[in-house]
Amino acid sequence: MNRLLNFLKGKWLGHPLHPILVHVPMAMWPGALIFDLLSKWQIGGNAMVRLSFYAIVFGLLASLLAIPAGVMDWSGIKKEKPAWKIGLYHMILNLLVALLFAINLGLRVQTFREATTVAGVPLLLSILGTALLIGSAYLGGMMTYTYGISVARMSKDKWRKIAEAGGANLPLE
Amino acid sequence: MVKDYLEGKPLRHPLHPMLVHFPIGLFFLSFLFDLASLVFPSQMYLVRDSFYAMLLGAIMALVAAVPGFVDYTDIRNDHPGKRTATAHLILNLIVVGLYGINLGVRSSMLSDPRIRTGPFVLSLVGICLLCASGYLGGRLVYDDGIGVGRHKRHMPPPRDTIHLTVPIPGADGVFVPIMAAQQLRERETLRVEIGGQIMTIAKIENQLFAFQEFCTHRFGPLSEGKFEGFNVQCPWHNSCFDVRTGKVTNGPAKVDLKIFKVERREGKVGILLPRGTKSA
Repeated sequence: MNRLLNFLKGKWLGHPLHPILVHVPMAMWPGALIFDLLSKWQIGGNAMVRLSFYAIVFGLLASLLAIPAGVMDWSGIKKEKPAWKIGLYHMILNLLVALLFAINLGLRVQTFREATTVAGVPLLLSILGTALLIGSAYLGGMMTYTYGISVARMSKDKWRKIAEAGGANLPLE
Repeated sequence: MVKDYLEGKPLRHPLHPMLVHFPIGLFFLSFLFDLASLVFPSQMYLVRDSFYAMLLGAIMALVAAVPGFVDYTDIRNDHPGKRTATAHLILNLIVVGLYGINLGVRSSMLSDPRIRTGPFVLSLVGICLLCASGYLGGRLVYDDGIGVGRHKRHMPPPRDTIHLTVPIPGADGVFVPIMAAQQLRERETLRVEIGGQIMTIAKIENQLFAFQEFCTHRFGPLSEGKFEGFNVQCPWHNSCFDVRTGKVTNGPAKVDLKIFKVERREGKVGILLPRGTKSA
C-alpha cells in the first residue's frame, strides 16, 4: 500500500506524477472538440469523427491514473492553506469533466464508425466538458504557479545545500 | 508590454506550460494510431488519423515554442536550472524538426493500411525525445521553481549574480561598495555574492535593504520575490519577511532572514559586513 502511495506521488521519478499524466486528457478532450468542429464544418468527414472518439478514449484512460495521483498530492496539503480549497474545486470539476466525457463517449459508440459529422448532443457535451476542463486546469496551474504546491518538494535537499553554501540562516533539519 | 503577455502575467499563469499539453498529448495519440495500424492493418484509416493528430500537435508545438523562448530568456544566467532549460530547449527543437520531417514523409502515404518503417521509427524517436524533454521541463518547474510565482512580481528579475571580493577589513567591519546599487529602480533587486555570502539588495521607498537570498522555508529566491510595503514575499510558497529586520511576517517559513547593513561612504553605496569577516 505504501509503495502504491509513493508511486502515485512520483517519488520514484523525482517529479510529481499527476502533472505529467494530465497532459493526456488536457490535450485529448479539447482536441476532440476541435475534431468535432472540423467534422461539423464538413472538413475531414469520418476521419474527424473517429479521431474525436479515440481522443476521448485515450483521455479517459489516462485520467484513470491521473485522478488517484492527483488525490494523493491533494491529501498532502494542510487544510488551512488556500491551496486546499482550490484543490477541492479542482478535483470536483475534474471528476465532473471525466463523467461528462464518459457519457459523451457512450453516445458515440454506436455511430462513430460510419458517421461523417458529429451529432448535436455529443458536440454540446464536448463544448461543456472542454470549458469546464479549462477552468479546472487553470485552478490546477494556480496551485503550482501561485501556491507552489509540489515545488521544491523533492529538491529541497539540493536547495538547502545551495542556501547553506550561500551563508543563509537555515531552519533545523 | 509584449513580454509580460508572453509570460502570461495578465493571466497570472505562465503560458508555455499550458500550451505544451497539446503537442505532448497529440504526438502520443498519433503514435497510438501508428501502433494500432500495425496491429489492425485491415482498418484502412489509422495511418490518416495518425497524420492529422501529428499535424495538430506540430502546429501547437510551434505555438508553445514562442512563450517558451521568452521564459528561457528570463532565467538568471547562473541559475542551476539554466542548463536544464538549455537542454529542454534544444531537445524540443530537435523534436519539432523530427515531426516536421515525419509529416513530410507521411503526406504521400495517407492511404496505406499500415504505417511504414521509416515514419514509424521517426515517431518512436520523436516520442522518446519528447518524454525526456517533457521530463526536463517538469523538473524546471518542480525542482527549480522556474515560472513559479513570477506573475506576482512587478520588476524583471536579476539577469546575473554580481560577484565581489572582500577587501581588507577596517576598524568597524568590512565595507564593500556596490556600484550597481546606485542605479536600482523602486522594487528592483540585485543578487550579490560577497566572499561566498549570497544576498538580495532591494530598493524600497527609495531606501536600500540587503538580506539573505534564500527563503528559510524551501530556500526559494528572494531576489525574484514580490515586494509589498517593507515586506518581501518568496515566489515559491509565499512566506513573507520584513526586509528591515529579517523577521518572518507570514509562514510557512519559521526562521528569520539574515540581514546586512547598507551604508553610504565617500559617495558610494555598499554593504557593511560585520567585524571578523575574512578577506579574500
